[in-house]
Order: sequence, then structure tokens, then C-alpha cells
Amino acid sequence: MSDTNKLLDLQHARKSFGDNEVLKDISLTVEKGEVLAIIGPSGGGKSTLLRCCTLLETLDGGSLSFGDCVVTTDQGGVAVYGGKDVLKRARTHFGLVFQNFNLFPHYTVMKNLTDAPVSVQKVPKAEAEAKAKQLIGKMGLEGKENMVPCELSGGQQQRVAIARALMLDPDILFFDEPTSALDPELTKGVLRVIRDLAEENMTMVIVTHEMKFARDVADHVIFMDGGVIVEQGLAVDVIDNPQHNRTKAFLLSED
Amino acid sequence: MGLDGSLTLSTLLMRMGGGLVVTFQIFIITLIGSLPLGVLIALGRMSKVKPLAWFMRLYISFMRGTPLMLQLMAIYYIPYYVFGIKLNLLNIGPMDIAGLHVEIGWVMTACCIGFILNYAAYFAEIYRGGIQSIARGQYEAAEVLGYSSAQTFMKIVLPQVIKRILPAMGNEVITLVKDTSLAFVLALAEMFTVVKQIVASEVTMIPFILAALFYWLFTILAEFVLGRIEKRLSYYHD
Repeated sequence: MSDTNKLLDLQHARKSFGDNEVLKDISLTVEKGEVLAIIGPSGGGKSTLLRCCTLLETLDGGSLSFGDCVVTTDQGGVAVYGGKDVLKRARTHFGLVFQNFNLFPHYTVMKNLTDAPVSVQKVPKAEAEAKAKQLIGKMGLEGKENMVPCELSGGQQQRVAIARALMLDPDILFFDEPTSALDPELTKGVLRVIRDLAEENMTMVIVTHEMKFARDVADHVIFMDGGVIVEQGLAVDVIDNPQHNRTKAFLLSED
Repeated sequence: MGLDGSLTLSTLLMRMGGGLVVTFQIFIITLIGSLPLGVLIALGRMSKVKPLAWFMRLYISFMRGTPLMLQLMAIYYIPYYVFGIKLNLLNIGPMDIAGLHVEIGWVMTACCIGFILNYAAYFAEIYRGGIQSIARGQYEAAEVLGYSSAQTFMKIVLPQVIKRILPAMGNEVITLVKDTSLAFVLALAEMFTVVKQIVASEVTMIPFILAALFYWLFTILAEFVLGRIEKRLSYYHD
């Protein structure tokens, strides 16, 4: 409302699992066309942050909104969620690409892409299939339409998963370590696709261990450790010239 | 052992054939009723509503923990002993449905109710195992894509569950073929009841041998159908 370019606005996010405080007062915003990379050691809260943003986990405290769709408001430090219809509407704003792809194994590539638009958004089947064909081409998966996921390599599966998320025209696309389950050769193809999306000004939030990729593709980088944002800024600054010792140590260990 | 003039092989087969039709009816009606009922029981058993989950747990435990034969007899007599209803009032028909003359005795109805309630308990546990084996990520992917819970279950989870549980279901289906013979306790004229009567009246073992062959053929047919379904679902693995 105040800033229409702000596609994601998360303020003072807190989340604990039992006694373990995983997110401690995290705030971040993502603007239209921005690519944000989240880096940091395992267990630092990156994935939980992403899962809270994609409504797979609920925040304990904080506010979250997508554009003018307010998902939670912070009321005295407690995150108060909107009703079912609000969550449903919020989900139309974003897509998520999982580390393990999570394609539907019993559906063909085509059906993986078209089923959600057809059965959730009630898009006519022919229209969805035309769009799917286009995305399949864009992902370099021509001729794989009628294959099932188990017939594809991990890299191909992940590209199908990206296409599946794009079918619903999300404003913002989240990636949870999209290449961590892939060997280096297959990683390349997936990173190329994400790079292409960045060039088309797709708004993206990417949790990744690929530092070089983060520096090249992301506009901003957030370094998270111990449930807090240790350092953030322009991608080149944070990765090439980190200020905090923890960031430096992490980047050294990743090389 | 042997067949005298009063019972030729063809009349024997005819009488057994009539019994086989009833056996087949029990088999099919039980599957039609218990396969979907099992899904509901499994969902209830896994429900977050604790009293419902506990009730289903108790139900499954009781149905699996008491003899099917006893359950059949109990269901048959309950209307009379508990509600004082004369059992012959519970016969359905005779009536004409779409030109077919239909007449269903309470014996058949009670028998089918018993089989459905019993088999649904076993199926429910097989479904539960299958449903719990589906990875969390499948639910999460469906949720993010906007599927409703019902859509997620019907379109994403259940089809995958069916593939996984097919071998275990095959066991139950084959057991059911033979369990239909328990209907003899209600004197329902299914194959085994007929065979027992013939053996007693004609003093011959041959009907037993034929019955064994019939049951075996029936299970082979069931194995064949299950094999075809398994093959149809083998286009993917996960």
C-alpha cells in the first residue's frame, strides 16, 4: 500500500522449535525485480526463514505481507495470522522450488505443470497446456512432456519443478537450496535457468550454497547464522568484501 | 467316495454353481463397501480429533480381535435380541428394480454388513501404512501450489498410496475369497454351505475337491486381476 514495489515485507520475525530459537527478530524486504540470496551455515535458520515466508511454518512473532496481502500482523510480539482465505490468496503471490524437487511422481511432466492451474485456478486445459509447452521449451525439456519424473535426471526434475512453480505466475519465487541435491554437472543447467529468470527480472529469494552464483545473480545477499542476520548488503560487497568475522569465516570455509 | 445315480456330475456342478454365484456376490459387495469405508476409518484413525482417533483405534482393534464368524452371527441376531425386530421383516423385496426381480434376505444383508465392517478394519490399517509412507514434501508441494486438503488427498496422495499398498491388499483380497465360506454359519447358500449339504446327504468327498478347485481358481483370477493393476501402475517409481 505504502510502497507498491515491495513484494515481500517481513518484520521482526521470530520462530522457535521448543527451546531452540531458530529465528530471532529477522526483518527483510524484497522489491519487484530484486534477486535476494540467503547464505549461511546449516542450522543457521535459512530454511526455516524460507518456510515461514512460504507459509509451511507459522511464525511465533512478527508481520508478513506480500504486496497488499497481509498474512500476519504483529500484535504485542505475537504473529496473528489471517483466515484461510487470506492464506489462500497469499499463496497465489509466490512459488516455491524445493531442494528435493517434490514433483508428483505419478504425473507426467505435462500433468505436473498443468494440474495445479487446471484444478486449482480453473484455467482451461488447452490454455494451460500451451503455456506448459512454452515453459518446457524454455527449460530445455523439449520432448519430455510425456515422461514421468523417475525417467528424468535430477537436474531435469528440478527444471520441471521450476516450470511448475512458474505456471501459476507467482510475483515472487522462492528457492530452497535448489541445487544441493544435484551433482556439479546437473547443477549448471539449473543455475542457468535461474540466471535466465533473473535476466527477465523475475523476483526471487534464493537460499543457496553456491557463492559464485549468488554473487553473479543476486542483487542483495543476506548472511544468516544463529537465527540472526549477521550481515547484508549488495551481493558483491558481502561476498567479496565481508565485514564480519563470522561471514569471513563462513566464506573461507565454503571455498 | 463316488457319485451314485441320484446325483450326476452335472447336477452337482449346477448346485455348486448356484452357491458360487452367492459367493461371488458376497465377495464383490464386500469389496465395494469395505474399500471406501477403510479409507474413512484410516482417516479417522489419523485424525487430530482425539476422540475420533481413539474410537477408530478401538473399532479396528475389536474388529480384528474377535472372530469374523462371531461378528456375522452377532450382526444377524442383533435386530431381534437388541431391538426386538422379527428378522423376516428385514428381508428386502420382492420388488422390481429396472425390470429385475430383486429379493434380498436378511441373511445376505447381515452377512455383507459383517464382511464389510470386518474387512474395512483390515483395509484401514493397510491404507494408514500407505498414507504415512508418503513423503511430507508431497503435501508441502501441493499446499504451496494451492491444492485444497481434499484435492491433495484425492489427486496426489491416494493414487500413490494405492500403488504402494497393492501387494498387501492382494493378501486381503485373496483371504476374502476363502473367508466367504464363513457365511455357512448363517446358513447362507454360498458355495461352501451348498457343498457341505451335498457331502452330508450324498456321502461323497467329491464336492469338497471341486470346492477346493473352485476357490483356487477364484484366487488365481484375483491374483491375475491384481497383477494387471500392479502392471498398470508400474509406469513410474519413486
